[in-house]
Amino acid sequence: MQISPHIGSQLVDLCSALLLLTCFAIVAQRRLSACVDLFALQSAFLVLTAALVAFLTGNHHIYIAAALTGVIKVVIIPRVLKKVIERLNVKRELVMNVNVPAGLLICGALVMLAFFITQPIIPLGFLLTRDSLAIALAIVLIGFFTMIARQKAVSQLIGFLVMENGLFLGATAATYGMPLIVELGVFFDVLIAALIAGIYTNRLQDAFDSVDTSHLTVLKE
Amino acid sequence: MIEVLVLLIAPLLAGGLSLIVHRSALLHAINLTSMSLLVAAEILITRTVLRDGPYTELGQLVYLDALSAFILFIIGAVGLACSLYMRSYMDDQVSRGVIAPKRLNLFFFLFHMFLLAMVIATIANSVGVQWVAIEATTLATTFLIAFWRRRESLEAGWKYLILCSVGISLALFGVVLTYYSSLQVLGDVSEALNVTQLLPVADRLNPHVLKLAFIFILVGYGTKVGLVPMHSWLPDAYTEAPAPVVAMLAGVLEIVAVYAILRMRMIVDHAVSPTFTGGLLALLGFASFVTAAFFILIQHNYKRLFAYSSIEHMGIAMIGFGVGGPIGTFGGLFHLLNHAFAKSMAFFAAGNIHRRFHTVEIAQVQGLAIAQPWTAMALIVAGLALSALPPFASFVSEVQIVTALAAQGIPGQWLTNSTGMVTVAFSNQFSSLSLTGLFLLCSVLAFSGLLYRITGMVWGAPPEEIVKGETWTLGHLPIIVLAAALVGFGFFLPQPLRQLLEQATQILLLH
Repeated sequence: MQISPHIGSQLVDLCSALLLLTCFAIVAQRRLSACVDLFALQSAFLVLTAALVAFLTGNHHIYIAAALTGVIKVVIIPRVLKKVIERLNVKRELVMNVNVPAGLLICGALVMLAFFITQPIIPLGFLLTRDSLAIALAIVLIGFFTMIARQKAVSQLIGFLVMENGLFLGATAATYGMPLIVELGVFFDVLIAALIAGIYTNRLQDAFDSVDTSHLTVLKE
Repeated sequence: MIEVLVLLIAPLLAGGLSLIVHRSALLHAINLTSMSLLVAAEILITRTVLRDGPYTELGQLVYLDALSAFILFIIGAVGLACSLYMRSYMDDQVSRGVIAPKRLNLFFFLFHMFLLAMVIATIANSVGVQWVAIEATTLATTFLIAFWRRRESLEAGWKYLILCSVGISLALFGVVLTYYSSLQVLGDVSEALNVTQLLPVADRLNPHVLKLAFIFILVGYGTKVGLVPMHSWLPDAYTEAPAPVVAMLAGVLEIVAVYAILRMRMIVDHAVSPTFTGGLLALLGFASFVTAAFFILIQHNYKRLFAYSSIEHMGIAMIGFGVGGPIGTFGGLFHLLNHAFAKSMAFFAAGNIHRRFHTVEIAQVQGLAIAQPWTAMALIVAGLALSALPPFASFVSEVQIVTALAAQGIPGQWLTNSTGMVTVAFSNQFSSLSLTGLFLLCSVLAFSGLLYRITGMVWGAPPEEIVKGETWTLGHLPIIVLAAALVGFGFFLPQPLRQLLEQATQILLLH
């Protein structure tokens, strides 16, 4: 089956846009377990994008990366996070430093910023994934913002994982995937980081009876 | 070949063995053996590099030049000192019940993994693999920092994990962008991130992309170095982590992160003018130096005092690299070495003080000269070296940096509109004069703050309940050797070390 490059690039753009859309949904979501579900959904879109790029370009090693993303980010990490949430009993709400409408506005601004920053370098890219680089940077910035805007340790973790998703999209879009050895290393690190953070939130709960990081204010000048 | 394998296998094997061995004496023996092997391998590598220049090993996976051999030298020296110091320190922690005996295994395992990650970050040919290794150091050290499991330790560990993970993610974006630009030139090959591939074609890489990549890399790895404004995890982590861990964080990890930035700079400088990278480095360097100098003045906790002094010295080294030129670059590299030695010594002393006085408050520590004469001496020597007074080696390196700064100023016009950023331009004559003045002012501030606090701890009468006198342990040996090196290097550099530093400077200047 042959897909014309034009339609192919439109499809990749569509998938990337869906990724960005789930970012906004995560920012707008108040329930923690729903955030985890949305993260899993976002990762699923990421798998779809990567698989699409792999299919359209014939770069088979992206399939491996896509499969790993599927296993780690769609299945394992959400499951670990759900367990942590269950054990910590923090289903109800999210503590926010920035309220939802303001957060969404800031995210909109971040998307514009991302497009502005990447504008000079986009024409260098491959036709197929040209616009995804800007979207990837936008997702990284929104993940970063989520980490600042939320106070619970688990939601900061979700922000971090969203950043990682953005990075992976960037790597796929800008370069049709990094060298395999680097990609494997990155996945390994993300998995371990998520597990460590999972264990860590348990420890925080034991020590402070809370995973609200606003309690972490003993150390200061 | 064999020496590179030893570098990788020694910590790996030691880490594995640490998990199954239960006697503490054996754990220490494994640790010391592995560290000695590491140092031996490092010496062999240095010899080869000095004789034959840069070379690759293990099928292009490993790239060794004078710069990486120099960093390996710091890892080996500080690592060995830490291993010697840990003997008495860890046993004391276990016997006092601060650390459960069976958690000692975990400590040594993580310590070896931390070391392995730093070795890989130093010798990897690919900047991608280097990124993975630096991320791995974050994972290994998070638990080491929180090893005491107190509330404050957990807080420090969480801050460290989150901030460094975010920083390192930004650095990954920089690596992705580097790959993006190298693909245009090298084509779709998996070696496109290797330094050996990138350096020859570096002047053909797209400057816009590399500028953006360098900013991401600098912010990312700069978090790990503890440059202002990404430094906020550092004082907390340094206060809460066990002393040998802090000695490794301050003495080695910061320097490996600086190395990663310099590695990237080597490539970017070919494509963009060195004034761009130099200006950014000097800017962050000055931000760190000035901020830290003021925070040193108001500290009442001696571990935080040394933490801010770390930020200060990394700032100074960054200024050296930023100003560039043979003198500035040499001074910067030499300063990294001096800082590693002085700071690990300072934290060994801090660890001893904490064990005796059970407090980190400067006001509650008095009469150290009577209570712990050896430690008091170590503290004074480290303090003088960190204040960069003669005859210490750090005096020499700081004079080199400030000379270069006065002569050249920081590179002007370093951000241009072409990346869509704000234009900031400096007039060179004006900036070099005023910046040299600022540099000297901050040095005096840091110097007086540091020495005022330290003398307060050393003199006077110790509190009644404190045991007086200090027995000699193996942990005192590294302190003496480091002190001797710090004074000795001020007068003369051993030939191989001088050659290594000169060649490393050449590598960084190659544009």
